[in-house]
Amino acid sequence: MIRTGLMLVRNFAERETKARYKRSALGWLWSLIKPLVTVAVYSLVFGVIYRAAPPVTANGRAETFALYLFTGLVVWNLFTEVVTGSMQWLQGVSDLRKKIYFPTETVILGGAVSTFLQSVLEALVLVAIMIGFGNISATVLFLPVALVLVAVFGLGVGFVVSIFNARYRDTEHLVGIVLSVTFFLIPIVFTPDLVPEEAYGLPVRRMMELNPLNAIVAVSRDAVYFLEVPSLSRLATAAGWAAASFGLGLLYFRRRSMQISEEP
Amino acid sequence: MSASADGAAAIAVEGVSKRFRLELDRPGSLKEAILRFGRRDVRDFWVLRDVSLRVRSGSFFGLIGHNGSGKSTLLRLIAGIHRATKGEIHTTGRLSALLELGSGFHPDLTGRENVFLNGAMLGLGRRQMAAAMDDIIEFSGIGEQIDAPVKIYSSGMYVRLGFAVAVNVDPQILLVDEVIAVGDEEFQQKCLRHMDRIRAAGKTVLVVSHDSALIRELCDEAAWLDHGRLRCTGDPNEVVDRYLDHVASGASEPTLTARD
Repeated sequence: MIRTGLMLVRNFAERETKARYKRSALGWLWSLIKPLVTVAVYSLVFGVIYRAAPPVTANGRAETFALYLFTGLVVWNLFTEVVTGSMQWLQGVSDLRKKIYFPTETVILGGAVSTFLQSVLEALVLVAIMIGFGNISATVLFLPVALVLVAVFGLGVGFVVSIFNARYRDTEHLVGIVLSVTFFLIPIVFTPDLVPEEAYGLPVRRMMELNPLNAIVAVSRDAVYFLEVPSLSRLATAAGWAAASFGLGLLYFRRRSMQISEEP
Repeated sequence: MSASADGAAAIAVEGVSKRFRLELDRPGSLKEAILRFGRRDVRDFWVLRDVSLRVRSGSFFGLIGHNGSGKSTLLRLIAGIHRATKGEIHTTGRLSALLELGSGFHPDLTGRENVFLNGAMLGLGRRQMAAAMDDIIEFSGIGEQIDAPVKIYSSGMYVRLGFAVAVNVDPQILLVDEVIAVGDEEFQQKCLRHMDRIRAAGKTVLVVSHDSALIRELCDEAAWLDHGRLRCTGDPNEVVDRYLDHVASGASEPTLTARD
């Protein structure tokens, strides 16, 4: 059973990777161009126009807002791509699933593997830039940890929304909106200390800190920006959220996925 | 499931019922679902009711019945595509299913990629599938088109490749739904010859068909499904005769089911 599952995950991962850049001249380079352009645009808006000052890096420099941004974006991009991808991957096999049985979660896991590998490329670019910048240490090993945690966390969310989406296509649009709001609820384009303790009577700083993604983004900042070993409580929080999300999401998915073959 | 006089059961269907829930005028969006909360027009269709049957290991078993009698649904339940609402189904050994056109092919993938994907679904690794690939290409007569996406295949090519995969993955149990009738004369002959080889190899085959001659010729045992209930099982000639008598008497009016 497990062997069959792993083979399917591999098949779906390969298929997703091939399909992604089929008939495109630049191929996988697109997976680097897109994040780099995003970083450039956000840097222009927040670094140049708003003159947001990034926190001081471990080697004592603070002039490059783009680096601060990129560190958070690598994690965020992986999260959104896994969540939105899950819905598409499941939709892509809904006809197939009506004709043959296979453990349906494998298509989502396979898609996530493919997306993860793409984000490793992105992370390598980030690390290369950090090396060029002279801001690197062994703490970089926590960057893959952050990527794994966010992928696993995103999978849990993806499992649930993909099942909803099989029933109601509104889910896709709703998720898109929730994601764009969430992007501004965690410190990616701003620094945590800019967030007031309280606004409109709400403890906004605390709310931001409670967001599971905040902990995971913080791990990646520790790893490649501040070059600190992430605190145990931060790692435990991030890992706890990831495990809970994945476990509950998969449980829900498995209970509902048999119904996919019966959706008209 | 002792090895009694009838041999061990390769497929055991025990008291299986299947309900399809048809939401007439089903809400297509969340908004509609919320607006109509509590006023859903849901209708239940019992496609199968309390069906029990045992297919002996190494036998050819035929299922006949009118359109919408639940034959195909029973096959899908055995294949694991749907889950039974009540009852249980047990199968022993690798099961390969040929349900309608191009069962389990992904339109965007090439024939070859689909063969690997199908193999993985059946628990076969790349090496095993690569070893079977030449046989599959040869049997299907697809030729160089094996590296073209299956969406450009003709329906005949779909069926031929589907059949070639299903029989070349060395299944213990083969489920076949009508498909043989779709290929041309030559391919049908090829399939029937291959069926003999499958029989000689001691595999179990469950065939769904309208073709009473095929059931008489091919099967060791048959069952007749009528409006989701099992009417009789036994010798294929007797079962087919009873079915044909019933049809001739005009009593079997097809009814609406979720499938049709």
